[in-house]
Amino acid sequence: MEEGSNKGWIWGIVVLLVVVLGGWWVLGQKTPGASADTIKIGFIGALTGDAADYGEPQKNVLVLAAKDINDHGGIAGKQVEIIYEDAKCKGPDGANAASKLVNVDKVQVILGGSCSGETLAAVPVAEAGKVAIITGSATSPALINKSPYFFRDYPNDSSQGVVLADQAYTKEGWKKVAVIQEQTDYALGIFQAFEARYKQLGGTIVKEEFASNISDFRSVLAKLKADKPDAVLVSVQTAASAQRIFDQMQKLGWKPKLMLNDVTIGDPATLTKFKDFLEGDIGANFNLNDTPKFVALRDAYKAAYGKDMGYPTYSTAVYDSLYLIKEAIEAVGYDGTKIAAWGRSSVKNWEGASGSITIGPDGERQSGDSIFQVKNGTAVLVQ
Amino acid sequence: MDIVVQILLNAVIAGAIYSLLALGFNLIYSTARFFDLGYGALTAVGGYSVFFLYKILGLPLIPSIIFGMIMAGILGWGVSELVYRPLRARKASNTVLLVAALGVLTVIQAGIAILFTSQFQTLSRYVAEQQTYTILGGVITQTQVLILAAGLIIMVLLGVVLKYTRVGKAVRAVADDEEVATIVGINAQRIMGGVFFVGSMIGGLAGISVGFDTGIQPTMGLALLLKGVIAAIIGGIGNVWGGVIGAFVLALVENLGAWQFSGEWKDAIAFLVLILFLLFRPKGILGK
Amino acid sequence: MEYLIHIAILVCIYGILGLSLNLVIGEAGLLNVTQAAFYGMGAYGAALLITNYDINFFLALLGGIIISAFGSLLIGLVLSRFRGDFYALGSFGFNVIVWSIMLNWQDVTHGPLGIPGIARPALFGFTFSENLTFLILAAVFLALVYGISTFITKSSFGRVLKALREDEEAISVFGYATSYYKLVTFVISASLAAIAGALFASYITFIDPSSFSLNESIFLLSIVILGGLGSSRGAVMGALFLIVLPEALRFVGFPPDVAAQMRQMVYGLILILLMLYRPQGLMGTFRM
Repeated sequence: MEEGSNKGWIWGIVVLLVVVLGGWWVLGQKTPGASADTIKIGFIGALTGDAADYGEPQKNVLVLAAKDINDHGGIAGKQVEIIYEDAKCKGPDGANAASKLVNVDKVQVILGGSCSGETLAAVPVAEAGKVAIITGSATSPALINKSPYFFRDYPNDSSQGVVLADQAYTKEGWKKVAVIQEQTDYALGIFQAFEARYKQLGGTIVKEEFASNISDFRSVLAKLKADKPDAVLVSVQTAASAQRIFDQMQKLGWKPKLMLNDVTIGDPATLTKFKDFLEGDIGANFNLNDTPKFVALRDAYKAAYGKDMGYPTYSTAVYDSLYLIKEAIEAVGYDGTKIAAWGRSSVKNWEGASGSITIGPDGERQSGDSIFQVKNGTAVLVQ
Repeated sequence: MDIVVQILLNAVIAGAIYSLLALGFNLIYSTARFFDLGYGALTAVGGYSVFFLYKILGLPLIPSIIFGMIMAGILGWGVSELVYRPLRARKASNTVLLVAALGVLTVIQAGIAILFTSQFQTLSRYVAEQQTYTILGGVITQTQVLILAAGLIIMVLLGVVLKYTRVGKAVRAVADDEEVATIVGINAQRIMGGVFFVGSMIGGLAGISVGFDTGIQPTMGLALLLKGVIAAIIGGIGNVWGGVIGAFVLALVENLGAWQFSGEWKDAIAFLVLILFLLFRPKGILGK
Repeated sequence: MEYLIHIAILVCIYGILGLSLNLVIGEAGLLNVTQAAFYGMGAYGAALLITNYDINFFLALLGGIIISAFGSLLIGLVLSRFRGDFYALGSFGFNVIVWSIMLNWQDVTHGPLGIPGIARPALFGFTFSENLTFLILAAVFLALVYGISTFITKSSFGRVLKALREDEEAISVFGYATSYYKLVTFVISASLAAIAGALFASYITFIDPSSFSLNESIFLLSIVILGGLGSSRGAVMGALFLIVLPEALRFVGFPPDVAAQMRQMVYGLILILLMLYRPQGLMGTFRM
């Protein structure tokens, strides 16, 4: 083995490293989270991948909100700057993103994540850094009281599962339900809440799970079909998954009564595409009354981006979260511990675009999901 | 008994797609003698070409499919000339070729993802009810029947060409022993190139079929390829008919497994079958 | 500075993985694509012990190693029977199977929910919660694994491995039980990977099956191939290169989606170019 050529390689690598690391260290010297005239707020969300369907609108509304706040004097006189990190709806990336925001950008508060998985991973990191974290979109019950630094302004899934179970058993009279559930924390959380309540009421469940990368559901669906359930609960992570399932149900010639989770019934594109197939089916979602703030946001979004705001429920809650944080900072200062404490104690009947928000001492938004029904391609509230 | 018929039909549909994959893969393997993992990415190339032509540009169906297959064929041929041929010329080991093929797979997938995003897409333009047929209580759609027909036609065509035509005999000669074939006067390089072209075209068709049946994603290549490889091994690697048989066996086991155990174990079951065959019958069902 | 520390920790973890995989691929010449499975077993083993039973990290680490070693023993017994391409295929299969277990055995692993809130290591009252201190810990382990790896390769055991990779037939004729050597190497490699797994779990404080998929195994393979087969230094260099490079790409300013795909494309190109022009990797001694 030639010593000479080996040495050459080593030197090459050392030089490369020094250049890369050095340049990057220089670039990486960031000022702490609050300088003389800016306040930095972190955002963690699913900006790429299937979940970008709800992550990207969240970033978009925050851009609008930040501009709006800055045009009106900013937060406590300082301009707000949001640092967007992509966690791709994955746990390890969520932890990574949080680590960067907490340690490099030195933010005192993080908005996010979009998905429960990335949030579950980010929360311990935020807590260790004494940074507050508020989500308007991650709904897993596993996050409840996970940390005093965590709070959310969107109802968690324990309500969604319960509401669906009540509707199924008591109102619709379905005694046996089949469940097709994607293997993600969020979809699993909804199922667990549903199962607990539904079995308590006396119903029976047959379930099939699938990994997110599976796209062939035929035999699984055939199996559920043979069990002759009264209805089928479709608990998926993204509307794209649901669409594949509907498509294959159609091809199997099977049209059972369906129950949808909020990610599906909240996606107008899916409802339009499968208008006839989904007619009359029910789903649970957070009820956005058309508050004036919401209508204004909706129109502003359309004007700015040329398309309808995706997932208005999550997006609006995320929009509200920035304003909540603004108020928090103006009340208690730019300090993670104080902001978190404020979030858990001082948010009572706060009027946001997503309605009246009250957050309990457990950090959870106190209101639940409602039942909607698909009529002619749109979701209509069932009173 | 409806469910059993449906499961069997599902197996037939999946088997048709796997058999297309195995056919192309076997063709390449029997002549080039290495595991061309890059082949997997060509399924995505075929699928996405049709996506671009049929859905984005709005061209008619049949020309889009034909052009998509040609795209896949050209890319497969190009890769074989640029990457595999120099490696084989210097007698690189199979492992090196496998790793290079892995690199090819990664590059092509990444390229597709950059051009088309990593979102899942379907090829069919219409969501409305497709023509379905009910056979003994099980349901099959028109698209699936067409895929099945395509698979059978290609299998027969390939078998006939390989056995009875001069080109086919040349291919088999190269597959048997490349050096001797060259000595006898066969242009092995041209044959090899042709094999990669045709094999990749078939792979592209497999990707297109999957696109119409369930949908396409840039990362679909590796999973589909592995299924194709498993089918080829079950049936007897390098054997054209074997690949088809292996494909249906694999599809059957997968779907029966999904029915009897649970859908989530489908992939694990497929690989378990692979390992069992590698252990106890590596030559496959039809292997010599 | 903190971010540099974060990257350095990742380099240590992947350096350990590279070293572990190098033992199997570089020294013994077996194309193994299962390493992510043992990485994962170590991670899950340690994570479960830490979160469910409040066991000290260092003991949990031992637990993770035992689980990984045991799993690799079982898998290795089967895998050792294969040669060449079939070995690679079989290892693909086992990786998928183990990953499926991680995803589906929810009673134990919580499936997709993952295991959150894994505590950082603590020793004699001192907790490694500062990233800087964790880096020191990780670096110590890296040095330890490097030492073990070098010891093995320079020992008589290592010499048998080298002979095995050059010509397995020849050495078995001489009376060496090649299966035994392959198996032992495999188990040692898996145990070392488990160390990386436990470190990873405790560092990120959250694990889920997505970190241990087939793609991860392929990434680990690229580290070893890039760094050079049969070279311990190379394995660490490979890890350094493949972790740092994409981070540098971040600053070039692509939109996030494209940046991730560009990274993949670069990996693939590196593999292809390496195979074409330098199949022994940057610092390797073994050409595949």
